[in-house]
Amino acid sequence: MITAQDKILHVASKLGLSSLQNMQGSTGAVYDVDTDLSGQIFSSATRHQNPSVTNLTDNQFEVNEALLVETIAFYVLSEADATQNFQSVYGSNAVIVFDLVIGNKRVMKDTPIFASGTPYSFANVAQTRANIAPENTPTVFLPRHQVFMEGAGILIPPQVQWYVDYRIFNVITGAPIAATDATAIGCYLFGTKVLLNFNTSI
Amino acid sequence: MSQVKKLSFVDGKLGAPSSGQQTTRILFNTIEAPGAQSTLSFFKNFQGLTNGQTNLTQNKLDSMESMVIKTIMLTQFDTDGTLNFVGGGLQQTISIIVGNQTVVKNLPIQFNQGDNGQAFDRLHENAGSRTDSAYGGASTFQVRQPLEIRLLTDIVIPPQVAFEVRLESNNAGYGAGAVVCALAGYGKIFSAGNSF
Repeated sequence: MITAQDKILHVASKLGLSSLQNMQGSTGAVYDVDTDLSGQIFSSATRHQNPSVTNLTDNQFEVNEALLVETIAFYVLSEADATQNFQSVYGSNAVIVFDLVIGNKRVMKDTPIFASGTPYSFANVAQTRANIAPENTPTVFLPRHQVFMEGAGILIPPQVQWYVDYRIFNVITGAPIAATDATAIGCYLFGTKVLLNFNTSI
Repeated sequence: MSQVKKLSFVDGKLGAPSSGQQTTRILFNTIEAPGAQSTLSFFKNFQGLTNGQTNLTQNKLDSMESMVIKTIMLTQFDTDGTLNFVGGGLQQTISIIVGNQTVVKNLPIQFNQGDNGQAFDRLHENAGSRTDSAYGGASTFQVRQPLEIRLLTDIVIPPQVAFEVRLESNNAGYGAGAVVCALAGYGKIFSAGNSF
């Protein structure tokens, strides 16, 4: 089985990034919110407050930084800047359909994220919960809205722009659903990160 | 590379001794009554902290000790011991700095709070759950869990190298109780063996 590190080095080698192997390995995530309601996430990160809306200053990594995307997730950012569950805000019949675009290439295509729980929800955990006073209403479950890219992480190389295109639909009627300022959609990409490490070069 | 091999590899590169007792290590540090802040720096200030608030006396490991960080945990307590969302659940990022190098950079923490259900990993069963009911605030009823992020890449803290964990936000509220940061993983501790 190819490891995350192997895949990063393989892609780096194909792209001629010979110095990436000397950089610091890490764990990382990038996130941003479509506050413009444009249907595109990450492309306007430059204008967003850091870190309350995004942790990026641009939608590309600097020299010798990269991210092997292993998990993609969607959430809702409230007007109070709190992260909320997509299903809790949009209801169970909503579905996000998204593309991930790196450079000029679409690397994930028309991928659905069902509000009620997608594949990779890891649902049905046979969990029962006792109602203990003073909590006299049952605990509710919050479904995952993620794609786990098992064994097939996708590398975002240094200095290449990326973004996520998405649309929201009602899965029952097929009608599009519009986001609002209070229900803006956010997305994070999580995985093995490469950080710039100067070593003895400066 | 396994965590055991990675620690030996890094210690070897640095010329650090690697004959210590292998163990599981959990380092923790507390910031009392942080209030609203844009930056919290853990493992930086040890003044006035008891053994119940930190298990280090300086921001570095001893000369024969080193460890691999596998997990970061953050817990925010109210003064009565009730657990709260760290920083009120606002978007925050965490960085780990070892020596003069940032080894984890601006990693967002809010997704692993359990309230929005989008934890990074599958350790967090069913992505988190919560109750709709109002709860009484008594610390015996814990309705929130500590925030935990498991790292995908082993991060080594070598012997005698200063490290720091930095939590950044846009003036998030950390309350009047305390915020605890714990780093857990595989480590080596001093073992005299037959050298004395």
